[in-house]
Amino acid sequence: MRVYQGSGNTPGELQAQGCRGPQAMRVYQGSERMEIMGILETVKERKLFFDGGMGSLLQARGLKPGELPETWNISHPEILRQIHLEYLRAGSDEITTNTFGANGLKFGRDGAYSLERIVTAAVENAKAARESFRQEILEAGGPDAAQRAAAVCGYIGLDLGPTGKLLKPLGDLDFEDAYDLYKEVVLYGAWAGADFVLAETMSDGYEAKAAILAARENCDLPVCATMIFDSRGKLLTGGNVASTVALLEGLGVSMLGVNCGLGPVQMKEILREILEVASVPVIVNPNAGLPRSEDGKTVYDIDAAEFAGVMEEIADMGANVLGGCCGTTPEHIAGTVARCRNKKQTLPAPKDRTVISSYSQAVVIGSSPVLIGERINPTGKSKFKQALRDHDLEYILREGVTQQDHGAHVLDVNVGLPEIDEAAMLEEVVKELQSIVDLPLQIDTSDIGAMERALRIYNGKPLINSVNGKEESMAAVFPLVKKYGGVVVALTLDESGIPETAQGRIEIAKKIYRRAAEYGIQPKDILIDALCLTVSSDSKGALTTLETLRRVRDELHGRTILGVSNISFGLPQREIINAAFFTMAMQNGLNAAIMNPNSEAMMRSYYSFRALSDLDPQCGEYIAVYGGQTGSLGMSAAVGGRGGAETRFASQSGTGAAAGTGAGPGRQAADLSLFDSIVRGLKERAQEAARELLPARDSLSIINEEMIPALDQVGKGFEKGTVFLPQLLMSAEAAKAAFGVLKDHMSRTGEVRQKKGEIILATVKGDIHDIGKNIVKVLLENYDFDVIDLGKDVAPETVAQAAIERHVPLVGLSALMTTTVPSMEATIALLRKEAPWVRVMVGGAVLTEDYARTIGADRYCKDAMASVNYAEEVMAGVAQERGADGGTPQ
Amino acid sequence: MSGAASGGSGKCWNMEINVKETLRYLGYKGREADAAVMELVEACWAELETAAAVRSVYREYPLSVEGDFIDAWVFQTVSRDLAKNLRGCGRILLLAVSLGTGVDQLLKRYSRLQMSKAVVLQAASAAYLEDCCDGINASLKAEYGQKGLYLRPRFSPGYGDFSLECQRGILQSLEAGKRVGITLTDSLLMAPSKSVTAVIGLSRTPLNCAAEGCGECRKTDCAFRLE
Repeated sequence: MRVYQGSGNTPGELQAQGCRGPQAMRVYQGSERMEIMGILETVKERKLFFDGGMGSLLQARGLKPGELPETWNISHPEILRQIHLEYLRAGSDEITTNTFGANGLKFGRDGAYSLERIVTAAVENAKAARESFRQEILEAGGPDAAQRAAAVCGYIGLDLGPTGKLLKPLGDLDFEDAYDLYKEVVLYGAWAGADFVLAETMSDGYEAKAAILAARENCDLPVCATMIFDSRGKLLTGGNVASTVALLEGLGVSMLGVNCGLGPVQMKEILREILEVASVPVIVNPNAGLPRSEDGKTVYDIDAAEFAGVMEEIADMGANVLGGCCGTTPEHIAGTVARCRNKKQTLPAPKDRTVISSYSQAVVIGSSPVLIGERINPTGKSKFKQALRDHDLEYILREGVTQQDHGAHVLDVNVGLPEIDEAAMLEEVVKELQSIVDLPLQIDTSDIGAMERALRIYNGKPLINSVNGKEESMAAVFPLVKKYGGVVVALTLDESGIPETAQGRIEIAKKIYRRAAEYGIQPKDILIDALCLTVSSDSKGALTTLETLRRVRDELHGRTILGVSNISFGLPQREIINAAFFTMAMQNGLNAAIMNPNSEAMMRSYYSFRALSDLDPQCGEYIAVYGGQTGSLGMSAAVGGRGGAETRFASQSGTGAAAGTGAGPGRQAADLSLFDSIVRGLKERAQEAARELLPARDSLSIINEEMIPALDQVGKGFEKGTVFLPQLLMSAEAAKAAFGVLKDHMSRTGEVRQKKGEIILATVKGDIHDIGKNIVKVLLENYDFDVIDLGKDVAPETVAQAAIERHVPLVGLSALMTTTVPSMEATIALLRKEAPWVRVMVGGAVLTEDYARTIGADRYCKDAMASVNYAEEVMAGVAQERGADGGTPQ
Repeated sequence: MSGAASGGSGKCWNMEINVKETLRYLGYKGREADAAVMELVEACWAELETAAAVRSVYREYPLSVEGDFIDAWVFQTVSRDLAKNLRGCGRILLLAVSLGTGVDQLLKRYSRLQMSKAVVLQAASAAYLEDCCDGINASLKAEYGQKGLYLRPRFSPGYGDFSLECQRGILQSLEAGKRVGITLTDSLLMAPSKSVTAVIGLSRTPLNCAAEGCGECRKTDCAFRLE
């Protein structure tokens, strides 16, 4: 394990701040705790007991509303020690430090209440309580007093609570900033002598990942995590038990479980679900029932006796560690210890599940084949390559959503192209995809640096593509798999190439399993890629692949994966061969296929295989997908039953209020002109109409004579108040779709359409609402402006730098709240100083004409059309200047 | 008294009202939408139903109002508008409601892929959130009515001169982060975005004025003002 690496403080820096280093920590711990078994050993022997609530006990002793409980570590150490001591007397084997809310957002680096002092005092208080308890036993005397005192566990759990912020993209805290916040607490707590790290009350798997990584990378203590689930078994951010356990176990926690949010009764169902999937000891720390407040104080509805009664049931169900959370007291713990102390401890059996996850769902790779969409990959796709060069993320995101709509379970993500920064691009695409698609991702790259960056910020337990039998590959990839907790695709090739026989591939698979085990990676986290080469060059190739699949299943009891489409390379009508081979591969044990879910032939193989293999009870899914089709086999409408945006549209057309009032998006009147289809916002029809016009006319005349007039008409209607925002945008989208058709044509004919100029758009620092800015972007792009979209929460410096680099004539800024207008003002001021030629237009809910003038903007735009008009005005001015200068300003 | 509720599915939609409210937020001001937009509105409500996980929490605290100074136990502030709203109340309810992160995910998805749908969804989720708040309000009214207490119109930080700074105290006292998942950004915006905090005064006497809706608000040029 690597210790003390990562960004931020180095051990040297921290020692300079007067802290002990890791070596000192280990020596210290070793000398004091030599005689005590570690927490992970003890939990194997018997039920282990954690302590209970802290907050309510502090309130009872005078903590005021709004007062930070952690300050009491320093101002009232005697009270903290007393509470810890009471828990030890009650029978707790563990005491949790009072550091739930201790982080760098709330406590500074200096002063009497610095974070370092707060955390150190918290651990010192726990240690003092443990020592007092031992002394108490010795002083009381009696038989074996010395032995009993020495046997006091008193494990000190360093508490890491949530940061109180939501992580990006939904909130404003960066993943790495969350990591750094936790890292700081871990370093202080580990030096001070904590015995393990307890990340608890985590309601977001992504934040839990930051905390666990910070602990694993910056100390060598065991790390445990407990999450807060609601009564439906969901995290507040949408994850479920299966996805959360996959994530936590992947990240290498020693124990996991549930705390807070619910009482013990409601937690039983969550526990049952956890026990079904978990392979590590399980912790259950419930609240004392459900809360209510009386005169500003929170009270809970079940007493110690009732609590202990339910905890006994929980112990019998199989929980390994029992404790309490909000509202529980030493009395609750004492009752629980009394009832459960002599229960037999049974640790969860290791589960042979191959599982990956997204932020919200787990995908099990087992008997039913898993479909991995292959389309996010530039190989052989000139449009995709161009999208990468143009940084056109929307194109890539659409590829993802389309595959999901067609039934993919996982998306492969490969953005490797020699001329781009693959690591940066992969990180960005993974971040974007995981914020709009809830499928697990397969990180596909041969660049180890890119792989690590993507694995680090991935929100879940990923598939990793790939490792192979070469020593160099295994030495580079396995440490990443172990650290970030993925399932890895293992290609059966090595230094000698691809074996021609199945026997040769099996040998490599065995070697890979062996080497992986040395890194602590289990066979269940490896998918053996049996490799398929094109059958056109080797007529036995398919048979070799199929034999390998069978033997991995039957002899090695492993899981398999294939890039199915390779089989047909060089052949005509590749889909025919691909689909037949796919069926054969599934029949020979294939567990996961990297394939094209947009191919109807492939999906037919999949649904038929499931129906024929007892994987689709009563052929329910097959009938749901194909039941509506009559006559000959065309492309089915609603594949996969996932019902994406477009399919839902189609299925809902003609219902309710829409009936009888002209063409909705579901009914695209076949004879509408391009002009009319744009005015009415009909995307598909606009594309068709553009195609129909093309043979007879050139693209530019279609744009200038049909499309621009249509957009103008809609724009004028919007300004007059007869056309509303949704229609304006639907027209814009229809126009954009038609532009796409014309753009393809122009790239073939070499026609060029002059762009009007570049405009920077940004939502200002502190503001995370970007819908207004995005509306303006859609409109400006329609009117042929090149928009440089800097996104949301953008610092003034970033805007200024981009304005200088691109020498743009116009910047558009958006702010939603009064609290963020000051950063708009700051951005304008900086632009005036650094890029004085730039005009600034502003918009947003709180702005007015006067307000905009006060903060120094050139123009207040009340809506998107006003932005277009002002942009035209500015660019016309620029063009005039250029004419006068006889050159360009660049 | 306090309570926490969570739910999400099984909501009975009154589609007519949903559509009407959504269009109001979109600025239609009573005009009719065309068929394409109507379809979009209905599609958005269908998706909202699966994406939203409504969670709410409320707690009651002692209250004192002296002049424009308000002491609500967990926050203190000076606000003319809020003081007027709370005059005569001895207790106050703090309330937080959120549609959850799922709605924000959906908004983000369509912001990238189909802006027309994103703006309709934005309006629909605002209407949905308001509808949830009204529902909670109604049940609180019934609950407190039995004890002889009357509810004042709910009032949120940011209304009139009620400072957004009070968000911190309200959310902290409600433990909103772990109970309903609402967090604050540095600039005091709530995340997830489809969230509401509000205070509701409790008094022994009913208030005889039409303070519901937009009547009391001084922002008379608001595009969404209800007449």
